[in-house]
This record gives sequence, C-alpha cells and structure tokens, in this order.
Amino acid sequence: MKEITWYFPSTLEEVPELLEKEGVFIHGGGTALLRSNLARVEGLIDLKALPLNYCRDREGVIEIGTSCTYRQVIEVLQKIDSNNILIRALSVAASTPLRNRITLGGSIAFFPVWSDLMGPLMVLEAEVTLIGSNKGSFPLVEYLKKREIRNRSLITGISFKKRELNSYYFRQSRTRFDYSAFSISILVKKSASPSGPGPASASMTSSGSPSASTIEEPAIVIVGCRNKFSRLSSLEDSLKNRSPADLQLKDIAGSLEVEFAAKKNYSPDYLKHLAAVELERALKAVLRS
Amino acid sequence: MIGNFIINGEKKEISYHSSDLLLTLLRDNGFTEVKEGCGQGDCGACLVLLAGKAVNSCQVLAASAVDMEITTVKGLGTIHEPHIIQRAFVEAGAVQCGFCTPGMIIAAYALLKKNPTPNEKEIKEGLDGNLCRCTGYEKIIDAVKLALKKDRAR
Repeated sequence: MKEITWYFPSTLEEVPELLEKEGVFIHGGGTALLRSNLARVEGLIDLKALPLNYCRDREGVIEIGTSCTYRQVIEVLQKIDSNNILIRALSVAASTPLRNRITLGGSIAFFPVWSDLMGPLMVLEAEVTLIGSNKGSFPLVEYLKKREIRNRSLITGISFKKRELNSYYFRQSRTRFDYSAFSISILVKKSASPSGPGPASASMTSSGSPSASTIEEPAIVIVGCRNKFSRLSSLEDSLKNRSPADLQLKDIAGSLEVEFAAKKNYSPDYLKHLAAVELERALKAVLRS
Repeated sequence: MIGNFIINGEKKEISYHSSDLLLTLLRDNGFTEVKEGCGQGDCGACLVLLAGKAVNSCQVLAASAVDMEITTVKGLGTIHEPHIIQRAFVEAGAVQCGFCTPGMIIAAYALLKKNPTPNEKEIKEGLDGNLCRCTGYEKIIDAVKLALKKDRAR
C-alpha cells in the first residue's frame, strides 16, 4: 500500500505552503476523499487542529467554518436562524452517523451530483472564503465554475446573509436513504402588493383567500441535472413582482428548460417530467402558503 | 505510523498504515465487535462513538482519530453487567443473527445520550444509518422503547 504523508497544521498560515506540494489533498471528515481514489493521494492536510469549526451570526451574516459537520450546522442554525433552508436540506442528507462526519467544506469541494447542500447554498447566494493561491471571498457559483480558483486553495468558510424568506426543499429519491436523483431549492420573499388591500385588511381578502401579495427575490435551483446544477433565472424573472394568485403554475413548471442525463432507474425524459411535477408542487407550496 | 488511541477508556499505542481505516485498525487490534458490512457508510454495522458521536468507522481514516476517544459496543457494558440498552435488545428479541446489533446499540446509545425522551419518529431517525436484514426493525424499535422505560424506572 502506498504511504500517505499526513500534515496536521495548527495555524492557517502553515496551509498555503502545504497546498503547493504535489498530490496533497485536504482532509476534513474524509467521507468525500474515501469516495474518490486514494491512490492519487500523496499527502493529506488534516483540518482538525485549525480554527475552522464555527457556525455563527455575525451582524446579520451567517458564517460557517469549513470543518463544521452537517449535524453541527443543523444544531446551531436551529438556534440562530431557525427558518433556514439548510436545516431542512441537511436533515435529510445521508444518515445520522454520516451527518456527524460530513463537513461543509468537503461537500463543496467534492460536490457530488446527489448533494443536498449545494442547491440551498446557491439560493442563499453563499460566498466561499479561500486561502492559498486564491485568497479572498468568491460567489459559490464562480468558485464552482472556475477551476483556477479551486486549485491549490482551501475553503476556510462559507457565508450568506440572514434573511426572512419562504423556503422549500425537495429531494427526489426512491427511498429515504438513497442518493437523490435531483433536488429543488427555492427561496422567495412575498410582500403585500401596493395595489392590493390596505394594511388593515392585508391578511385576507373578502373571499377568505390569502391576501394579494407580490413575489420578490425568487431564487430557484435544481441540482442533479445534466449540467450538475441549474439556476432557473428565466423562471425567476417571470415570477418577479407577480401575484401568486395570478400565476398558472402548471404552465410555468411544464415549460421547464432543464435537461437530465440518464441515471440508474431513471430515463432523462422521466426525470424531466418528475422535475416539472415537483417544481409545480414546490411553487404551489412556497407561493401560496 | 504510530499513534495513541483511547479505546473503551484505555489508552493504547497502536501501529497502523497511513491509509488505514479506523475500522481496520480496530478489528486488527482485537475489537472485532466492530463489524465490517458494506464498507461505504450505508449499513452502520461498523458504528463506533468517536469523541462521543456515532460515526461509521469505515468512513474514518485512522490517522484522523489519533488521540481521540473511541467507544465500541464492548465499552458500554460487559457480559455480566450489560448496558441497559444491551439488556433491552435481548429482552425485546431485537437480536437475530446479531451482525447489526453492535452498530444498532451504538446508534441507540448516541440517540438517548442526545435526546433522553425520543418519540418513535426520533428513534427511527436516530437509527436511520443502520440496516438489519433479519428483524424488520419492529423489535429493534421496541428495544429502544424498552431501554427508555427501564431507564425511567431506575
């Protein structure tokens, strides 16, 4: 068996030099590493001793250290941002013992197609903070799209603004523990329509249905499609400043322009049909709740 | 590589390979109560407590567990003085072939430590990383409920 050199840095300053070494990878929880090929690993930088295990609200910005496990994130967010979409998404990811081990940083760097983390982080418009050859903060999507940013860099943390938004998370899987075939993440803000009823009667219309409101800041992401992830920008644009009651959700979801590759037990057409049905349900739930 | 591991309360200096899994290290050093099942983190047969949290030892590289506390099912109770959960598993008939039992008991222990009064849904969630091919799970859930009852009666 090939020998792997382990590095245990205790300060962040030691890390950039280690990242320059050939064949060196990061070790957080190790679950992603063990799913890839250890044969190409010459060395591992263990993050255990680094101060990257935090989850906090700093002046309205949620900051999560790269070494935080799913379980830690769920437990802390329940206290500081209890409506956060990440709580719902991470609670259904993997299993209890794996959630005790999988770290946020590892999940971002590895980004498996079945990820329950990435969709929520994308709708939250998260940023990743890096050290190494590309020091600084980058939008998550830019980090994912540009290989040159990722090379010889360590994600030290993830951050996003804390906002009061309606959220919805759905994962398609045949059984609870199965990898998801795709997931849908939605964030949306609904506000009272300026042309709707006045403030005194804003909660209900005379017919007893929910009051007129308009959709603001919609963010919709599907993960698991042919391009790995897709932000549904044209759908978001078509929802902006509209009243949920005026929308023909079936038509909107039916015109879904996302393609899927064949997966075990799913054909591309079937996945597309499923995604359209679930998107319609998701929009109903989040917009008309 | 040589490292110190605190296994079931005892500090042990162990020699291991740099790419060994915690599961391999434990089994090679006599802790065969930790079972090797799927090797992918799906079945929970290899569950141990690492620093108090249940983890799949097949998903942990041994080098990352140096100087940490590891508890296997044998660290919870002895044959003459079994842990309340171990006793409940026997009394409820939750053990058939027994292969999943060490992992199930570790998962139940971790659950009850975190949440001493789980409802049925929470019990199922706590055991969601453990597979059993014999019992159909009913008896296992009964066993956790029985352990709760026994614990309250103490």
